[in-house]
Amino acid sequence: MMTQKSLPRRTFLRGLGTTIALPFLDAMTPAMAAVRNTPKPPVRMAFVYVPNGIMMDGWNPDYEGKLGALPKILKPLEPFKDDILLLGNLTHNAGRALLDGAGDHGRCCASYLTGVQPRKTLVDIKSGISFDQIVANQVGKQTRFPSLELGMEDARQAGDCDSGYSCAYTNNLAWKSETQPLPPILDPRALFERLFGNGILLTPEARARQSRYRRSILDFVTDDTRKLESDLGPADRRKLDEYLTSIREIERQIAKAEKDNAQIDPHMEKPYGVPADFAEHFKLMTDMMTIAFQADLTRIITFLVTHEGTSRPYREIGIPDGHHPLTHHRNMPDLMDKVAQINCYQARQFAGWVEKLKATREGDATLLDNSMIVYGAGLSDGNRHSHEDLPTLVAGRGGNYIKSGRRIVYRKETPMCNLFMSMMDRMGAPVEHFGDSTGRLEGLDLA
Amino acid sequence: MQFPGQGKPPTGVVFDTDMGSGIDDALALALLHGLAGKDEARIAAISVSYANLKAAAFVDIVGRFYASATTGLAAMFLRGLPIGLANASAAAAPDTPILTAPALAKYPTGIRQLNDTAEVAPLIRNALTAQHDQNAVVVLTGPATNLVKVLDLQGARDLITRKVKMLVISGPSDINVKTGIAAAKRLFAEWPSPIVVSPDGIGEELLFPAASIEKDFAYAEHHPIVDAYQAYKSMPYDAPTWAMSAVLYAVRPQEGYFKLSDPGVATVLDDGRTRFTPATGGKHRHLILDADQKERVIKTYTEIASAKPVERKFRRPPSN
Repeated sequence: MMTQKSLPRRTFLRGLGTTIALPFLDAMTPAMAAVRNTPKPPVRMAFVYVPNGIMMDGWNPDYEGKLGALPKILKPLEPFKDDILLLGNLTHNAGRALLDGAGDHGRCCASYLTGVQPRKTLVDIKSGISFDQIVANQVGKQTRFPSLELGMEDARQAGDCDSGYSCAYTNNLAWKSETQPLPPILDPRALFERLFGNGILLTPEARARQSRYRRSILDFVTDDTRKLESDLGPADRRKLDEYLTSIREIERQIAKAEKDNAQIDPHMEKPYGVPADFAEHFKLMTDMMTIAFQADLTRIITFLVTHEGTSRPYREIGIPDGHHPLTHHRNMPDLMDKVAQINCYQARQFAGWVEKLKATREGDATLLDNSMIVYGAGLSDGNRHSHEDLPTLVAGRGGNYIKSGRRIVYRKETPMCNLFMSMMDRMGAPVEHFGDSTGRLEGLDLA
Repeated sequence: MQFPGQGKPPTGVVFDTDMGSGIDDALALALLHGLAGKDEARIAAISVSYANLKAAAFVDIVGRFYASATTGLAAMFLRGLPIGLANASAAAAPDTPILTAPALAKYPTGIRQLNDTAEVAPLIRNALTAQHDQNAVVVLTGPATNLVKVLDLQGARDLITRKVKMLVISGPSDINVKTGIAAAKRLFAEWPSPIVVSPDGIGEELLFPAASIEKDFAYAEHHPIVDAYQAYKSMPYDAPTWAMSAVLYAVRPQEGYFKLSDPGVATVLDDGRTRFTPATGGKHRHLILDADQKERVIKTYTEIASAKPVERKFRRPPSN
């Protein structure tokens, strides 16, 4: 339905302590506008980083070109193979030792988005500004949050996390400056309040006290919602309803996690709203990432799934061993299989997010079509600590740019930073040089 | 690779070769592996300016041959060093007798298509980042086309200044310079480190003896250097050693195998000839053949190039 007066893109539902941004609605298209004048949805980018490398035998297909059957680890993404691009042979030289000795986990994470070899230290940390922040500096003013930094495990910023490398290196992806990492938000409740609140972060105790009395945040915006709905056509009303329902569902999941955690151990160190289950936590975080993109709250997200070098066990899938020790498998088949299972489990969670993005309509396309979601790691072979042929998958088309459904294998030593250069172009923040780039990555837009 | 607690490791060698066009580069590669086997050098990177995939595959074959002998692992299971190949389509340069030698088909290689090779400029740049300051040498035995691409990378000139002791260049200049006059001009004008040129006459005077090929390499039933040598020309023949002279000087500059000119400035003329003008403070020098050293040099060539690789202890993968 076309109304005479279009709805501003920045329309909010407001209530007590609550501000809910809206997804792109048809009503936001200027009335009587010719199709050619329809504003293009923005391009978003996200990085989903998994640690400790990947069992590459289960990641790399034995062919190039059009994607067909995917290897074991990527099997969960097979339903979306037309929406992904697999890139081979990208290298991060800055992650290598380069005379600094042991510490590949610290280096590979700190250099992943910065392209800079970090200083080996526990105190006076130094890496480089990460490229997501360069983009955020350019386009971040157009959204409520220039960028969001998220994670699921460990946000310690001090201590020795890898052979003399500070935990600031293993626990952050984004760097605001060469000395200022941006610690990820781990707690879904904290993220929820950031996205929909008035900027005040509550303590767990205050949150619990408040939750005894409060209802859904949607209750606080009922008046605005009703008023808005009366101006919308049926399609937009349905879209709005789905959107608000998804927010309500997130609230329920967070509340459930809080309740479960309180029952398990009221004194647990984990943040109050963090689900004990990996998959639930992943889903909660990515559901909110979807909302953040959908409502154009931000266009840039980095998501450190678990921190580099983590020894987290995966009891959810029957693996009580620590992830990192397993990756030094000494070529023992049972250990290698467990690592592959972890890799596959994580890829399955990611596939769930891809499915959600693909199911979220935006104009004539989907949210996935308008995004570039990079899923990958700073090491390829976690046993050898290899920094070449990094596992790199791009989901989405970056706004009708990337020709997906293919595997491209570049020549060896092609810098990962070349991909970042191309992504910066696509995000509207081009630069002449980044990290150790030698140019743009060719072939992303070729069928 | 570094060796904690042992001070500086042996000199890191970047070898940029036009492998395939002549046999001297194959001999130089054997010499380089021999010097690495004696811990006098480390192969930091090898790049090939002869734009033919088989040339890169040959370098890989030789690398695996030596790596297999020193590790005791089968060549087919080894992860070969990445080999750079000039940025051209896979078969831009014509096949040569060396590259198509039927005897080479029996050796395993990991290079079957272009993306099994490395981009030259980042390969060399990355290799230099891993070297101690002033502990790297670059050996150029083909056109300068690859090295000028390194010069064009951001920050590369500072890196070269910091890491590279010298660049050693060998002929034959009528092929190497004339196939890339513009690149050669830029290289001499812009390369930041000292440059030492091994003039054509040195390689032509110091011939590698066919007899060495026939008997010194016999420790292996099949040897890729021997197979390449025999494929290049009808045996027996003695081969010029342009590239060997450059490798030998780069790794053992202190041994007095050659005399060294006074400093000066080398420039490449439009017709491809090189003019050397003595100049105080000049960064360029050239080697001078020392007749008294001729036999010693040839003996060194044959002994080291044909040295049987010695098995070493396996280096454990990182466990941090």
